[in-house]
Amino acid sequence: MTALVELMLDRRSLGEVGSKLARAAAFFGFACVAFASVGAWLWEPWRQRFFPAYLTAFAWVLSLTLGTLFFVVLQHLVRAGWSVVIRRLAEFFAAQAPLLAVLALPLLLGLHDLYHWTHPEVVAEDPVLLGKKPYLNVPFFLLRLAFYFLFWSWAGRFYYRASVAQDESGDVGLTERMQKRAAPAMLVYALTVTFAAFDLLMSLDPHWYSTIFGVYYFAGAVVAAFALLISAGVLVQRAGYLRRTITREHYHDLGKLLFAFVVFWAYIAFSQFMLIWYGNIPEETSWILRRTADGYGVIGLVLLFGHFIVPFAVLLPRSIKRSPGTLLYPALWLLLMHYVDLYWLVMPEFGAATPHLVDIVLFFGLGALWLSGAARLASRHALAPQKDPRLVESLTFENA
Amino acid sequence: MSQPAIWDNSHDQPGHRAPLVLGDDSFGAITQRVATIVEKPKPPRWWTVTFSISLAFTVVLLAMLAYLFTVGVGVWGLNVPVAWGFDITNFVFWVGIGHAGTLISAILFLFRQKWRTSINRFAEGMTIFAVICAGIFPAIHTGRPWFDYWLFPYPNQMQMWPNFRSPLMWDVFAVSTYFTVSLMFWYVGMLPDLATLRDRAQTKLRQLVYGILALGWRGSARHWHRYERVYLLLAALATPLVLSVHSVVSFDFAVSQLPGWHATIFPPYFVAGAIFSGFAMVLTLLIPIRKAFHLEELVTTRHLDNMAKILLATGLMVGYAYGIEFFTAWYSGNHFEAFTFYNRALGPYSWAYWIMVFCNVVVPQMFWFKKARTTPWILLVGSLFVNVGMWFERFVIVVTSLSRDFLPGNWGIYKPTWVELLTLAGSFGLFLTLFLLFLRFLPMVAMAEVKSVVPQAGLERGPHRGHGQYWGEIPHQHEEILGGEGREQR
Amino acid sequence: MSNGELRVVSPPELWGLAAEFSTVDAFLAAVAACRKAGYVRFDAHAPIPVHGLDEAMDIRPSRLPKLVFLGGLAGCALGLLLQWWTNAVDYPFRISGKPLFALPPAIPVVFELTVLFSALTAVLGLLVANRQPELYHPLFELPAFARGSDDRFFVVVEAKDPRFDRHGTEEFLKSLGAESVFPVEVR
Repeated sequence: MTALVELMLDRRSLGEVGSKLARAAAFFGFACVAFASVGAWLWEPWRQRFFPAYLTAFAWVLSLTLGTLFFVVLQHLVRAGWSVVIRRLAEFFAAQAPLLAVLALPLLLGLHDLYHWTHPEVVAEDPVLLGKKPYLNVPFFLLRLAFYFLFWSWAGRFYYRASVAQDESGDVGLTERMQKRAAPAMLVYALTVTFAAFDLLMSLDPHWYSTIFGVYYFAGAVVAAFALLISAGVLVQRAGYLRRTITREHYHDLGKLLFAFVVFWAYIAFSQFMLIWYGNIPEETSWILRRTADGYGVIGLVLLFGHFIVPFAVLLPRSIKRSPGTLLYPALWLLLMHYVDLYWLVMPEFGAATPHLVDIVLFFGLGALWLSGAARLASRHALAPQKDPRLVESLTFENA
Repeated sequence: MSQPAIWDNSHDQPGHRAPLVLGDDSFGAITQRVATIVEKPKPPRWWTVTFSISLAFTVVLLAMLAYLFTVGVGVWGLNVPVAWGFDITNFVFWVGIGHAGTLISAILFLFRQKWRTSINRFAEGMTIFAVICAGIFPAIHTGRPWFDYWLFPYPNQMQMWPNFRSPLMWDVFAVSTYFTVSLMFWYVGMLPDLATLRDRAQTKLRQLVYGILALGWRGSARHWHRYERVYLLLAALATPLVLSVHSVVSFDFAVSQLPGWHATIFPPYFVAGAIFSGFAMVLTLLIPIRKAFHLEELVTTRHLDNMAKILLATGLMVGYAYGIEFFTAWYSGNHFEAFTFYNRALGPYSWAYWIMVFCNVVVPQMFWFKKARTTPWILLVGSLFVNVGMWFERFVIVVTSLSRDFLPGNWGIYKPTWVELLTLAGSFGLFLTLFLLFLRFLPMVAMAEVKSVVPQAGLERGPHRGHGQYWGEIPHQHEEILGGEGREQR
Repeated sequence: MSNGELRVVSPPELWGLAAEFSTVDAFLAAVAACRKAGYVRFDAHAPIPVHGLDEAMDIRPSRLPKLVFLGGLAGCALGLLLQWWTNAVDYPFRISGKPLFALPPAIPVVFELTVLFSALTAVLGLLVANRQPELYHPLFELPAFARGSDDRFFVVVEAKDPRFDRHGTEEFLKSLGAESVFPVEVR
């Protein structure tokens, strides 16, 4: 047994490579955000675009953390064995909520630019918004955000810490504790993600509402999470780590889950779109109309094909899911598509669909800052759990 | 290789997977335990008694249908504004019951949840019978049920086609596809077991009937190979299918503009509710039957524990949907929307609403505790509550929204007549009749599938050890399966 | 074992030899050995889908999945054409302000027909490829084979196999650890 583990398990952290990556990413990310901020300071069009672009990029990195957090908690909830060797990568990403809380601070400066309902004079003249005031008001909004980030930070850090501690102690009790907390954590997770999606994204158009919106954001986040795990696994292996630890079998499973959630996302998106289309009630349809006019219709089609039809066809054959080198490309593509999905949710509230340099700068900026956080953790700890009680099951796992 | 006899295998010990079958888990013992149930020349006494009662209720159903057809839908309590009542409530209820069967057979199969093998046959059977019961209601609610064939697109002398933009047409396609695919899945899964019954048959008649049903299955390696592929494909097809069926059912409501019906969360909410109610029904039937046929070693405490966990999870999803609907009704700023939900909780049907909340959200909370999950009678009581609650959920959705729409002048109250009550009772009779026949004549546990997850199948050794089959032993020849990028593909 | 004795009417003809095994390991090893020994007309029978049997027998992956995909495509196309042609061409009927044909409300029926056709293709394809129903097979003449659907594994070498030799093959099968080797005879 020990011989087998010795042979297959990579005990290294990213080490010096990781800290270098973390420093470089942090520097690059700072530079991007600073560049965009200075631009916004100097030029009016940049100023107008800054906060919407920041929110889109922020929602994107947020979903990477939330999606991976879901993955980690789920593995403990169902006592999964196969996924142990890839769980650590997810733990690194899921533990980024404190960093995201910091990255959320600039949004507070832009509340007036982003959220229509923060203007008292607008609310005073709008009976609908007046009715929503008990929920949509700045202090309560901030309180809620604080609670969400507090919970996500606690959950992400708890699972990361316990898992890392087990590397040293090999204590089975840690696994038992992680499992015990998984069910209640999942419950709070579902509620916080839903209301965060309502608050950050749905309230951009405070008149519009859709009961499925929380699930929609969640579905996209999980697609992004599986795409991220596949990409991270392949890239880390290409760099020479975990070479015998993560096998074809694990990619096969991750590929299946990615495929399943691509379909799930399409199902949720279709449910929302078709029901609004069919009901044709003005207060609901206006939201869809804005997302099919001014060039956003094209983006909608890009999503239909790029987020569903093409990945569906590409991920369908078994052979693709079993060849990591190929699977990397649809995974990277879907990471991008999730950003496009969020762009389609946010940007129509702020004018026509012309992509802007600020969008790209902030996409890379926030992405790099977020990555630096994960890389910092990866530089300190082994890239796969070392003494998980189900480690051998995971190492020798095969798709039956 | 048999495991020591332990009765509680629901313990959770990380790194050690609990055995799925207790007691003697050799192939022969499994065959013996399941096959003898259908081979006894006489059914047990309780079977005869319950069967007679169920049959009587089936007769009641037929009588109610005859009365309905001869007199007309006026024998029901439906009238404007409440034009849907028990009929559609029962339809949605029964379709929902069916969903657990597909979930256990298809979705858990894809998730490699091997514990499903002890209960999937049983649950799939339940699916078929529930869908038969469900199909009755939309067929008879049409007013002139003898023209139901107009629902199908066939060239006719009227030169008309059905209106495909209507969700009722989608129902026709969804439910008939669901029934067909479930039936095929069930039957294909049963082929090896029918062959077992054929080979064990002691009378000419049994040999003939099971022989024909088994289609000449003889366990050839090439047959197994294709069989496994097709089983996987059917599971992969049934999984989105089961989601689509209850989604389409939810579209019947959600495409409308009626407050309380038009909600985008309806599709996933209905699917979660369907699985919730279906699992409750599986437990309601399984717990007494497991006792009556002494199947505790095949359907173990761990099975009950797992199902109770799914009950809790889906119950929480349903509770989530109730909550989000309520919140959005207020958040929408739409007075009609808000009123509908206010009316549900405090209006004339509030009793139904609170029964629903109590049964579906409050009661399942006890499954946070292991004691409740692993004590059969507590689980049975809990599942009965959920059955009741899920019926009332559909009643609340259908009736409260219709009885209070936009104009107070249109408001009305619906009360079911005795005909509707007896039709519902009769549908339970039909369901149980079919189910008891299944228990008597077909193998209720998938023998071949259970055999393939016990130690004798050799899964826990060597390179072909399946997931969830780990008993803590480490296979020997690992050199040949070593991974990394250069790993050989089979 | 259920039939009791079979009455032989005409002189029986040897169809093949069936070797009975009681463990998966011996069975798998025997299958691999048969293939190595150069037998081509042999088959393996098991009460469960034995993992590793495909490799041991070198069974090529089935082409059914591709066929099922085509079946699904056909169902999808039929669903689209059916709804478009009936509602927008042959019998155009404007209702509830909806277009005569639009994709969103067409999806459910398209989806259901896709699944229906895929599933029908899968099941019919399985029966055709397995040549079932096949209610008679020489192996059913062998009383011991009844346990093949219970707890025994059989390796069957047909007499038609070029390497078949009544005694040589029997000895070979016995050497692989068979519990017993039975002649399979047809009348």
